[in-house]
Amino acid sequence: MTRPPNLAYSVDEVPPFGILIVSAIQHVALMAITLIFPLILAREANLSEAQVLDVVSLSMLGLGVATVFFCIRSHFIGSGYLSPAAYTAIYFGPSLFALRRGGLELVYGMTVTAGIIQIGVAPLLRRFRALLPSEIAGLVIAIVGLSLASLGVSYSLGIDNGQSIKPEYVLVAGVSLATMCILNIWTKGYGKMFCVLIGIAIGYIASYATGILNFTAIFAATGAQVIRLPHLDHIGWSFDAYLLAPFVVAALAATLRVMGDISNAQRLNDADWVRPNFASLVGGVSANGFAMIFCGLVGSFGINSYSSSIGLSGATGVTSRSVGYAVGVGFAILAVFPSAAAIFAAMPPPVMGAALFFTAAFVLTSGLQMITARMLDARKNVVIGFSFAMAVVADIYHNALTAVPVVLQPIFGNSLVLGTVCAVVLNLITRIGVRQRVSIELASGSINREAVEQFLSDNGARWAARRDVINRATFGVVQLLEVLGDPPDGVEVEASFDEFNLDLCVRYAGVPLEILEKKPTPREIMASEHGERLLAGYLLRQSADRISSRQIGDSAEVTLHYDH
Amino acid sequence: MNTAALTIGESHEGNVCVVTLSGRVDSTNANDLMARLKALISSGEKSIVVDCGAVLYLTSAAFRALLVATDEAERNAAKFVLCSLGGHVRELFEMGGFLDVFSIYSSRAEAVAKLA
Repeated sequence: MTRPPNLAYSVDEVPPFGILIVSAIQHVALMAITLIFPLILAREANLSEAQVLDVVSLSMLGLGVATVFFCIRSHFIGSGYLSPAAYTAIYFGPSLFALRRGGLELVYGMTVTAGIIQIGVAPLLRRFRALLPSEIAGLVIAIVGLSLASLGVSYSLGIDNGQSIKPEYVLVAGVSLATMCILNIWTKGYGKMFCVLIGIAIGYIASYATGILNFTAIFAATGAQVIRLPHLDHIGWSFDAYLLAPFVVAALAATLRVMGDISNAQRLNDADWVRPNFASLVGGVSANGFAMIFCGLVGSFGINSYSSSIGLSGATGVTSRSVGYAVGVGFAILAVFPSAAAIFAAMPPPVMGAALFFTAAFVLTSGLQMITARMLDARKNVVIGFSFAMAVVADIYHNALTAVPVVLQPIFGNSLVLGTVCAVVLNLITRIGVRQRVSIELASGSINREAVEQFLSDNGARWAARRDVINRATFGVVQLLEVLGDPPDGVEVEASFDEFNLDLCVRYAGVPLEILEKKPTPREIMASEHGERLLAGYLLRQSADRISSRQIGDSAEVTLHYDH
Repeated sequence: MNTAALTIGESHEGNVCVVTLSGRVDSTNANDLMARLKALISSGEKSIVVDCGAVLYLTSAAFRALLVATDEAERNAAKFVLCSLGGHVRELFEMGGFLDVFSIYSSRAEAVAKLA
């Protein structure tokens, strides 16, 4: 991993206390925007004002716990990267449907179920990685960026539900967005690092000045209490198999978004990033599953990683994991301060809009960079182009597409889900015939190693295979030929390649190769040429990701596999 | 990976003998390398640096040659070190667990300074 020079604090670095706290507050402010989803669901459930406040407080606790889960670096849970959490539109549709069908109990029960599904899916990600290449993760990120920008414009202009544009909203959003852009583009240090937080603060002031923000109404709802533990009396759990389909689709879409976000976080921290680190992705998806279970149990809603926060960390250059822990502690504290919950819950829509629109720019461009990081051939052009277009279509013809049967509504009613499902299905279909196979025969008496090197080098270039993998493969075949010597009927080397696998099959007349697990000692290696053969077998096992040897009639076959 | 036969260069920097390897080191030429290194040691050289900066790759035969030379140097109270292992070559040393077996320096200057 090579640290990009533009980062102020990379993932493993701990910023000074002051910068850590202000960075965390900045993320908290951005993440708090997504409390809009629990708020809407709480209002739809006709909860009392006190219960709505409970939902907001518990949802803040959920954001804090989920962020810590996402950021932890361990074998079982967590991505190891700064990856804050957010309530998401992906689960909003199915949750609203569950609410109308079975009340809050059913929403909480299905939220726990979706968490279990994500935990179950996580270990399978590596096996299905061919179906989820980095360009699809990039597509997910780009669509999320587009959705955030669209939501940001809607909030900024105050045009929700077909209303006309509100001039005072445009003014507030413009001032807030201009502040963020000026600080981010033309300043360095603290100004750049805290551009979104300062922009939000300026937006609050502008909202107060234009009468959009009414503090009196906000504090009246919280009562006189300074500290208040949220009550849990609105919580219960139930399950309905009818809702399994929409929640499974939403869980898969949320999983893809986590994969995209974590991949983006990895890319921000590694100048040499080529492809996602799957251990980190698996940990991130598990973290999402456990966070869902936590949220369902404490009376909150579907949660996911937050592309805007990843965009924010990219814009400010502060990608330290420690910021995530500080965010977790911050939300846990805010959860017991009802006035804090009220302030965040009442963030003026144009301020939300400016913050969403600003971060959407970084999310969208990150997604586009991930899509174009590899050469786009005809197959990828179809997969990416069609899926991106379908995601846009889902927003333009939203009303028409939601007329599909209920089971399909989670797919057609959400641009992210439709675009993602389209990309996965098209990728699966267009992978037919993607594997390429070539071979070379080396005649007995003239085993030409240079010919093998040239064969692998030429085909590796034609396949656009990674140079390091071709080097390892070349070493493997040359080392194997050294061990085999000069078999009587010569040697056939067959290479097959797809985007994720390079397999080499070496066939010769003779007995199967003995491949040792144990490394010979220097004394054994020096003692005789037999020691050298032992070392050769050991090096072959070490150089390939998998190696096997078997007898076929009078011939033998050694297969070397390299992950690509 | 470019193909190239092994060439073995030899020079002196003060009392240090620097052997420069270039190209592939495999079973076709490992015995030549071993013989050359043994000859240097038996001729009385007490400080030998093998510069691997231009080595393209090496196989088990090359590792055996270097191990034999190291052993020979120890028997003759000579110092024998390697330097300038490039990316892929260093990976092969790591793969075989040889980074701790040989004395390895990052550059020729550092190795010569250590042995001078």
